[in-house]
Amino acid sequence: MSEMGRIIRGGERVALSHYSLDAEQWEAMLAAPGATLSLLSCWADEHRVYVLLLEGDCPLIASTTMEERRYLAPSSRFPAAEWGERVAYDLWGVEAMSASGDGQPALDEGVWEATWPLSSRPGPGGQAARPVAGRTVLPAEKSGLTGPLELSFDVVRGKVQGVSVNAGLAHRGVLHRMIGLTPEESLPLVSRMTAGGFVAHPLAFCRAVAQARGLQPGPGVRDCWMILLEIERMSVHLFDMARTARSVDAGLLATHCEHAREAIASACAEQGISRRLTDLVRCDGFRVGLEIVPLAQAVVSAMQPRMAQLRELQSVFAPRLKGLAVLSPAQAREFAVGGLVGRASGRSLDVRRREAGMRLDALRSTGSSEGDGAARDALRLTEIRDSLALIQRILGSIGMDDDEPAPEATQEGIGVAEGARGDIWYWVRLRNGKIDAVQARDPSVSLLSVLPAVLQGETPERLPAALRSLALSPSGVAM
Amino acid sequence: MSVFQKTGPLSVLHAFIDASRWRVSPENDAPARTGMISLYVLETGGCEGCAMEVESLCGSAFALERYGFRRVADPADADWLLVTGAMSRACVQMLDRVWKAMPPGKSLVAVGACAIDGGLFGAGYATLGGLKALTQVRKTIPGCPPSAQDILSGMQRLAGR
Repeated sequence: MSEMGRIIRGGERVALSHYSLDAEQWEAMLAAPGATLSLLSCWADEHRVYVLLLEGDCPLIASTTMEERRYLAPSSRFPAAEWGERVAYDLWGVEAMSASGDGQPALDEGVWEATWPLSSRPGPGGQAARPVAGRTVLPAEKSGLTGPLELSFDVVRGKVQGVSVNAGLAHRGVLHRMIGLTPEESLPLVSRMTAGGFVAHPLAFCRAVAQARGLQPGPGVRDCWMILLEIERMSVHLFDMARTARSVDAGLLATHCEHAREAIASACAEQGISRRLTDLVRCDGFRVGLEIVPLAQAVVSAMQPRMAQLRELQSVFAPRLKGLAVLSPAQAREFAVGGLVGRASGRSLDVRRREAGMRLDALRSTGSSEGDGAARDALRLTEIRDSLALIQRILGSIGMDDDEPAPEATQEGIGVAEGARGDIWYWVRLRNGKIDAVQARDPSVSLLSVLPAVLQGETPERLPAALRSLALSPSGVAM
Repeated sequence: MSVFQKTGPLSVLHAFIDASRWRVSPENDAPARTGMISLYVLETGGCEGCAMEVESLCGSAFALERYGFRRVADPADADWLLVTGAMSRACVQMLDRVWKAMPPGKSLVAVGACAIDGGLFGAGYATLGGLKALTQVRKTIPGCPPSAQDILSGMQRLAGR
């Protein structure tokens, strides 16, 4: 156990993996000697600040109370915490002391009805910020992403430098809307968190709810969830490959990816479910009437014949993505970038490997350390291959019991799902059966912190291709 | 089936041949093209589901131009503005900028429940609750999200085709 982990466990245990620290313990955690645990998420409300960390492959939450609406900033130790601190200030007006960032607004650009809208003492709305004169702006509608995200930067000798990211345009206040609802009532909102995770987001949420309630989904439900997640992974990877290919004039590869994705969608529709798998995951399992075996067989039949040609085309066009938006292994480690982007940059984190009942022999992709657009695209295709193998392995032993024990019911739970774009985490706290507090972490958040470094040195013309290759989702960042 | 699995020097040629074979909406099902309508697409803060469906529609799997529509990259070339998303307050400036850049005779089309009235997200401190909070919207395509085919059918209906 690391020194940081030991300090956290010295706090009061309030749930399965959640420790409440006093001010001294919090400070000691941030100054702990030795290795720094990976930070997955940082958030705060008016009363407490939380960090969700990863120790090995196990989640660990530490929290402490606010003192006069201020707290010692986790970003003083975990650079990636800076986004969460700025979000907390915009929503609640709580201040992070000794924060590492520039303190710029994360979500509130001065156009909301109120300042600190979730605070018990909200102020009047602000004034829209004006762009800094002399800087080049890549407006949201030209970023190349499917959601609004704006970049501003300097151009020095034709290269991008000093990138600032405005990622708050897509903020909808979804998490706040869930408070006071039952988990079942809030599922439609969770299911529309971001389109790259129509399955993965509700799945992570339902796992968190199950843990809070002290329930363990049965092997049939578990395997159905796994299959749905793999179908979504293939569909989203194909979408991201097609979009990236279009931006480097690799239209033929894009065409085949688009056709393959539509074939998956058609296979789903023919089985009587939504083309993009919306509203299938439920807290107690899955939508009534879903026939998972014929669905899985139809999707495998649609995808399998296309794989050889997709691999050929991907290798033909790969040189166009060489050196695009390089995320170094050191950056991936420092900012705890997980998911496909992290795995293409030398990290090995894939939370599927820790899931009960996982058919580990199907997950054969080994990642890369190149960290560029070509490495990400190659890995996407390899992961599609693995998804097909995993689905077939599950079909061979569907519902296989593994005697996983149910957790203790503490009314608080953490759930995770390895979505197509990375690990999605939910933390929920229930009170009288309703959501008392909730936090979600989309993989795009960890990309956000490292984005300026990754885009540094690109030409302005290549920025849309770079953003598409990273598959950053503004709706997942801003929520 | 063996032709689909060929690899090696002829694989790219086979890929060209196969690309048209796998098209979802066969071109011979499309009506004869009449006046082309140019589309500019704008996402304004939703889950991106509708935006991704529009992307699919504009990709190779659908013969969009055969139905008399084409996507443009500059609002100055657009006839219709296809808006997706819940219309966050922070996106109003962007919408205004794009709308003003479009030439006279333009139309606004709300694609998906969020763009129409906010959908699940409704109105709140950060969202307006769809385009209806800003203006009267006569052209709408419902769904959450509408499929690419639904969007195409909706556009044909709105164009009177």
